[in-house]
Amino acid sequence: MASAMSAMTAECFSQSLAQKTSLVSSQFRSTHGSRIAFKQSRKSCNGPRGRAVLFQNLRRQVTSCDIVQSKDPSLVDRVLKIFSTPADSLNAGIATFYDESSTLWEDMWGEHMHHGYYEVGAPIKEHRAAQVDMVDNALKWAGVESAENVLDVGCGIGGSSRHMARKFGCAATGITLSPVQAARANEITAEAGLPNVSYQVADALNQPFADNSFDFVWSMESGEHMPDKKKFISELERVCKPGGRILVVTWCHRVLEAGEKALRPDEQTLLDNICDAYYLPAWCSVADYAAIADGLALKNIKTGDWTAEVQPFWGAVIQTALTPQGFMGLLKSGAGTIRGALVMPLMKAGLQKGTIKFNMITMIKPLK
Amino acid sequence: MRLITHNMLACNIKGVKSGFPLKIEAESVEVKEADFNPEFLKRMIPKLEWKAFIDAAVGLNVSGLPAEVTPEIMEDEEFLKKFHHALLELHVEEGALICPETGRRFPVSKGIPNMLLNEDEC
Repeated sequence: MASAMSAMTAECFSQSLAQKTSLVSSQFRSTHGSRIAFKQSRKSCNGPRGRAVLFQNLRRQVTSCDIVQSKDPSLVDRVLKIFSTPADSLNAGIATFYDESSTLWEDMWGEHMHHGYYEVGAPIKEHRAAQVDMVDNALKWAGVESAENVLDVGCGIGGSSRHMARKFGCAATGITLSPVQAARANEITAEAGLPNVSYQVADALNQPFADNSFDFVWSMESGEHMPDKKKFISELERVCKPGGRILVVTWCHRVLEAGEKALRPDEQTLLDNICDAYYLPAWCSVADYAAIADGLALKNIKTGDWTAEVQPFWGAVIQTALTPQGFMGLLKSGAGTIRGALVMPLMKAGLQKGTIKFNMITMIKPLK
Repeated sequence: MRLITHNMLACNIKGVKSGFPLKIEAESVEVKEADFNPEFLKRMIPKLEWKAFIDAAVGLNVSGLPAEVTPEIMEDEEFLKKFHHALLELHVEEGALICPETGRRFPVSKGIPNMLLNEDEC
């Protein structure tokens, strides 16, 4: 099965981009010129069977849409069946994933590569504004009203750090595993005229900075990628100035109940499927993070949960992925990006059923 | 990579005690104009590791920066222009940063330093 899939994958991607584009766009051209609208699948997707169900649902949605005059139904199958082979190492996989996906994300969603913040009960904000709100609300929640020298760990193309540089007039440095993201971040930043903001390729678990360098250390939705949570927090602690603050906003699994040793099997399977596609190592809970921070003698540890406030996000991302622009963008981006897109309904399901939480944790490095 | 960035990068290989400053081996350097902002430059002076900065500047053929910046020098337009140029306008596009203790080379490619460590260096 795996070899048949990789053969199909190889065949699909050996066609020239021009051939693929014209073939697919002729099939997707709408007579009304309108966006494709899809109903989202209500089925939950658990386990290997769940992956097959997910594929069937997506296939049904794509081919049942009345503007898809599919002359070649197997093309849809080939496109949706793409699973990339595992990367040699987690870091290489993460770098490649973001190298491949970053441009498409920026085209569709802009410079912020994180969830939007949607006030519960209020009308749903425009998504890019919600992403900026996420940064501002996270800063407010952590009590950060000023900063001089910020580190952005897992900086993407620099959305958060540029926003903070403008807001606080501070210097900012960002690190990412993705050379494509670092280059794009520097490019946007130069155009924006922010001379004391720069980006480099580096590993959050082994950072190229001296101890006690930054008065505010920020990690927005990158903690999920860190294979060693203790090493991650201890690096943040090391490069933070005494008296400085650390803020981590990250996906976690729910805090285990008293007596529970692990998540339920169905929950674990859900996370495993997500992990494969997004190059995530094992998940932990926000309570685990708090314990690690405490163990490193960090102070004023505060945790939070914005699972409700990010609820509208995945539905919105899925919808954009299924627009012609989004779909074409996925085809151009590569197998890893497509696989990531296919797994988005799992993220949505995980958040809805309480397995996945959107958490924050902030703490202070004590003065010596 | 500009010198403002170089000034904060260090080698963090396990066991290394003095991984700063990194030596710059510049294969290609581009000059890209940046807005001249004297107030910003003056604020930057105390934040920089000054010796590391002027050593790096000399390596990129910028001479004449003072070993110490006095209040008088800080107001001197000539100095500020030279400081501005060295700090913000010289971009090392291709080359390497070299750890002073181990000699380990961190490549700079398309202006981006790659500071990733190998498994045995962590």
